Amino acid sequence: MTDIDLGATVTASQPGSGVSRETFASKGNAFELRGVTVSYGGKPAVVDIDMDIPNQAITAFIGPSGCGKSTLIRCLNRMNDLIPSARVDGQVLYHGEDIYDPRIDPVEVRKRIGMVFQKPNPFPKSIYDNIAFGPRILGMKGDMDEIVERALRGGALWDEVKDRLHDNAFGLSGGQQQRLCIARCLAVEPDVILMDEPCSALDPISTGKIEDLMLELKERYSIVIVTHNMQQAARVSDMTAFLIVKLDGDEQHRQGRLVEYDVTEKIFTNPADPRTEDYVTGKVG
Amino acid sequence: MATGVRVQYQEELARLEERALDGLDLVAAQLERAIEAVEQRDSELAELVVANDDVLDGRYLEIHQSILTLLATQAPVATDLRLISALLHVMKNMERMGDQCVNVAKLIPLVGHDPPADERILRDISTMGARVKTQVAQAKRAFAARDLELARDLVREDDVVDDLNKEIFHIAIEIGDDHDRREWAMTMILVARAIERIGDNSVDIGEQVAFVVTGLFREFQDASRPAERLA
Repeated sequence: MTDIDLGATVTASQPGSGVSRETFASKGNAFELRGVTVSYGGKPAVVDIDMDIPNQAITAFIGPSGCGKSTLIRCLNRMNDLIPSARVDGQVLYHGEDIYDPRIDPVEVRKRIGMVFQKPNPFPKSIYDNIAFGPRILGMKGDMDEIVERALRGGALWDEVKDRLHDNAFGLSGGQQQRLCIARCLAVEPDVILMDEPCSALDPISTGKIEDLMLELKERYSIVIVTHNMQQAARVSDMTAFLIVKLDGDEQHRQGRLVEYDVTEKIFTNPADPRTEDYVTGKVG
Repeated sequence: MATGVRVQYQEELARLEERALDGLDLVAAQLERAIEAVEQRDSELAELVVANDDVLDGRYLEIHQSILTLLATQAPVATDLRLISALLHVMKNMERMGDQCVNVAKLIPLVGHDPPADERILRDISTMGARVKTQVAQAKRAFAARDLELARDLVREDDVVDDLNKEIFHIAIEIGDDHDRREWAMTMILVARAIERIGDNSVDIGEQVAFVVTGLFREFQDASRPAERLA
């Protein structure tokens, strides 16, 4: 940037459509990360992350392999608890509450903050039972048929499966299985959906359906997505965080760090950091 | 030579920019011929200017198609995206500059072989032509070097051209009662206006330099708020 005075500025012609961080401020934050460092076996994998993830918006994590995107998203619903050597320092505040507080039940955390993985992972059960599984375990009240239908409609799958609800879920296509996993996630009435590369195993049509679904879901849910597909981040997300890998002092250990976090339009039209620029334009891998 | 990954894409983008900016050399050559045709009352040279406009139009279409291909196949973002957006503007301005040269050329047969010319007007038109040709070259250099100061300086150059344009207008108003002489002077007003517009197009290209570098679109000259314009 330069400090040369270039004359009159035409505000209406600035890049983007006027969406700014303030656009999301009125919705409040789903998460506030304060100095979050995640370590495996004492070695930090992502270091000192500070960011606010807005409500009812899609936030994308992008960055090269090994930058800690998946580690970071997994610490948002305590999935890293399942790895014995994992440790999370700093604070992950969810609607103001630290989800790592000893008084917090991790099962309740994962009920409110659902997760969809890279590879669709339906249970070896019927479509119906896949959806009903979570509500039954949690003892949710209400008509189970209605819960299943509502979840499948939410996952944009109802019309395709309503006549074969008791068929095995493995008979669905990959894209349908992934939407089933999203519907399964919705069935327990979460607040946030975390998606770790949800489309990387899908063809473009299925990917398009999942992306359409994400845009519908963000009206009611907060979504965080990890993606290697930058065009996907550009297409669907409202906010984008770019992480990089840094080697620590002895150059033996790789650490992920947050480089830039901003409105997606800004990241893809005029990023502030040259490292972001090099990554999104494909100059570095 | 581009380094790192996506080398072919980076080379294609660099080649595209070079071809687009070379289009401004074609404009400069067209302008030089058009001015010479005015000075020499050379209708044949004027016809050549009109015919050569196909070369500029062809360059416009070539770059436009290449940009569409690049957008469709490479999904450019960030500085690359701003550059491509700016190149579309540059090409549109280049094409308009070419049309203005044609406008000048088409006026030449109207004034005849031995018109009752006014030397002051002819001298001002020659000066305008030379200065605008310099402006076109400066716009190209500023874009290629991403040089904001050089881009901003186009406004100062353009002010001189604007003043010459106004001067021609005033001389023409007071040129006297002779019908043929007045008709010639009115035609020269149109010539001067066309040249002055090419200068404006150069400033527009300078504004695109600012957009590529800063990501902000800023009008160097704001007609609605002339008092705010910087000297």
